[in-house]
Amino acid sequence: MSDSDSRGMRAFLDEVLDGLAVDYADIRVEESERSSVLYRGERLDSIGRSFERGGCLRVFDRGNWVVATFNAIDESLVGLAEDLARQAEELPPRESAPARLGPHEETVRLDPAQDPRTVSLADKRMLIHHYNSILTSTPGIVSTVAQYRDEHRFTVFLSSEGRFLDQERADCGFHVRAVARDGSNIQDYGDGFGKPQGFAALLHREALVERVGKVALDLLRAEPVAAGRYTVIVDPLLAAVFCHEAFGHLAEADHVVDNERLREMMRPGTPFGVEELSIVDDATMPGERGSYRYDDEGVPAGRTELIRQGRLVGLLHDRSSAGQMAAPPTGNGRALSCHFPPVVRMSNTFIEPREADVDEMLDKTERGLYICGSRGGMTELESFTFSAQYAWLVESGRKRRLVRDVTLAGNVFETMSHITDIGDDLVLFGGLGGCGKAGQGPLPVGLGAPHLRISDVVVGGR
Amino acid sequence: MRVDAVLAMAGLRADAAEVYVEETDRTVVEFRAGQFRSQETRLERGCGLRVVREGRLGFAASSNDERYDELVDAALEAAGLGGPAGFAFAAQPAPPPVATGHSRVMLYPPRRMAEWGRELCSAMRSRVPEMRLDLTFTRTRREVRIATTGGADAGYERTTFDLHASGLIAGAGSMIWLPEYVNLSDGRPFELEPLCNRLEQTARHSRRRARARTGDQPVIVTALALPALLAPLPGGTSGRHRQKRISPLIGREGERVLADCLSVTDNPHRACSLAAAPFDGEGVATRPVPLFERGAFRGFLYDLDSAADAGVAATGSARREYPTLPAPGFSNLEIAPGTAGLEEALRATGSGLLVCQFVGGGQSNLLAGEVALNAISAYRFERGEITGRVKDAMVTGNVYEMLATVDLVGDEQRDLGRWFLPWLRFPSLRVVARERVAG
Repeated sequence: MSDSDSRGMRAFLDEVLDGLAVDYADIRVEESERSSVLYRGERLDSIGRSFERGGCLRVFDRGNWVVATFNAIDESLVGLAEDLARQAEELPPRESAPARLGPHEETVRLDPAQDPRTVSLADKRMLIHHYNSILTSTPGIVSTVAQYRDEHRFTVFLSSEGRFLDQERADCGFHVRAVARDGSNIQDYGDGFGKPQGFAALLHREALVERVGKVALDLLRAEPVAAGRYTVIVDPLLAAVFCHEAFGHLAEADHVVDNERLREMMRPGTPFGVEELSIVDDATMPGERGSYRYDDEGVPAGRTELIRQGRLVGLLHDRSSAGQMAAPPTGNGRALSCHFPPVVRMSNTFIEPREADVDEMLDKTERGLYICGSRGGMTELESFTFSAQYAWLVESGRKRRLVRDVTLAGNVFETMSHITDIGDDLVLFGGLGGCGKAGQGPLPVGLGAPHLRISDVVVGGR
Repeated sequence: MRVDAVLAMAGLRADAAEVYVEETDRTVVEFRAGQFRSQETRLERGCGLRVVREGRLGFAASSNDERYDELVDAALEAAGLGGPAGFAFAAQPAPPPVATGHSRVMLYPPRRMAEWGRELCSAMRSRVPEMRLDLTFTRTRREVRIATTGGADAGYERTTFDLHASGLIAGAGSMIWLPEYVNLSDGRPFELEPLCNRLEQTARHSRRRARARTGDQPVIVTALALPALLAPLPGGTSGRHRQKRISPLIGREGERVLADCLSVTDNPHRACSLAAAPFDGEGVATRPVPLFERGAFRGFLYDLDSAADAGVAATGSARREYPTLPAPGFSNLEIAPGTAGLEEALRATGSGLLVCQFVGGGQSNLLAGEVALNAISAYRFERGEITGRVKDAMVTGNVYEMLATVDLVGDEQRDLGRWFLPWLRFPSLRVVARERVAG
């Protein structure tokens, strides 16, 4: 978006919000372009580009939010804004107010090397074809999925406070999955890379791809894990998913804000896990997948300590929850795209490293599991479940044999209090997928952790 | 939306073209913890364009009216790099009439939904004071139009309306969500009493704690919990998974895979369901497709591409939204009801686990049918009576093997919008619990 386009949009959005007799209003308009290439097996399954344009208009009056998302960016928005103001007026008033900020104007532009639009679709296809070919030429791999995806987005935000933010964002990554089959035994394994560091950061990832094929084949020889309770050592990726799924979602204040019992359970100072545990959400980390300058409510990105030495010290807020809980907004009001309003979301959430060494964790484990990789996870407040890619059965401190179909479940409060060791080897992950919440997914997030050792975890298998 | 212009423009430069257009008008009214939270309107329209040039397929999509020229350019560029198109776009479909909603649904203003929400929250506060209700009313009107250079030009409008309710009971060291659902797409006014009764009954069961037993035991899975358990089925029955040789059902047509008390159908003609449609995402007329009849696998769901690969006719099962390419998938999944009542089944079973909600169905090795599900709303029953809520219990195993053992099917088919399911009894499933009891 050029400077003159930006000024023109500002004038138009001023017109939309001008004269609304409401307590607060904001409008966010986006224009985005995406491209994707998908191979399934040796076949190019799809290749294409898409263009999105639309926005979100929000009105807050007498304690109530009324929101509309739209495609048409024209004079009809003036009427839509007036309609929303009328609808808000019809609702019974409530005691509530969003957090306010002062006027501010800023334009945020990317380094041109981060813009995936500067790379041709042919080059994108060539890269993912190359990675896919590594897998399709691996003996024993019967099928593959190899996907490249990128997005470039301009977002313009204006609030009735006089905040005008014009931001450019981009994301690109790839993911490969290999399927190995031996009769009715079908095993798959996937991995990828994605950070907003431009197309060049995706090159030279052959070792990652080769490992995907190898692990899928190894899993054919793995036995299903015996279901039961184990001491587990989880690798940084699975520990990061645990941190995100089991604790991170619980720390999103929109779950907590309206429920006095949850507010009591999540009050500052509440013991949470072991004393060595500290968890942070930080949207300001350069080059990470969950980083941004301003969230989708015009709030500056921040670094929020959530757990400090085993005690809850913070929650993640959007304007609405911050206002209701009299807390400062943390810049975590994020929307998946122009078709959605912002809700409280994580950015880059990670467990801070401590001193433990993974070999020492193994040494002191008489019988347990060393669990690796993630197939994803789900959480329903205190209950979580997430699945690993595979695990090693550990006996007398040694990794003995590979096992599969490993799923962990439990209660987050109990499980975090069962952490016995926190590693010194923090890794931050990006990827191609993301976080899902309220029908908005996958939202780019970063997640990280060092190795963890946890006692008495319920593991599902056979 | 300039469908004809886009099709004409693409048709001039490509060998064949298909334009798929969606326009959505959605209203969402939300309550959180018993309080009105927000009212949202979503107006979205967009267009997906597939082209074939020199035998190769390209795709592009846009919700930006001002970039339609670029849409055609982008689709043609993609075709220049794309894979071979092994099928032809649909000709004009001749679908049977399908009840895709009720016009009365659009007459309920958001204000009425908010009133229903307040009445429901107020009623539940007096019945179960410790429960806090989250509610989401969602009403959607969707217009779909598809046109191809092969002569198809068809459209339909679907209106749907439903309510997701979730009661949270949070106590000392314990939280439980009690999920509920009501499909209101047939236009009938919202009835408070049946929903309140269901929530109250589940809350009553949740007040007492019971200890789960690790080991193999009878499990009854209610309709609300079944979709998570059935998560491997969409992939297993997909013609695309057959095409990629990764479905465990390949070569098993006619074979008894599930218990003979189970008949499973994909039914896009189910009146006032969330996925009712006269034709699919490629313009092929839909029809009910039996997937399993008395336990025997009948066949896969096909879109045009996977059908061409299999050398069969498409089943009208292409699912898509405008920004994505079509792929075979479920519309509305029905399991035929049996004859057993739940209370009678609990008595006949004696002791076991009654599961009302699972989480985690999507993270296992779904290709092979392996699942490990966290039963977050589950109840122990003894001598046919619920004795209390069980925490931290997982049900694990292979879904196809599990479904082969079902020995009792509930007499009521719950309407869950896109799932129409009875409860099922599994005589012996593997349960892993944190809390052990002797014996």
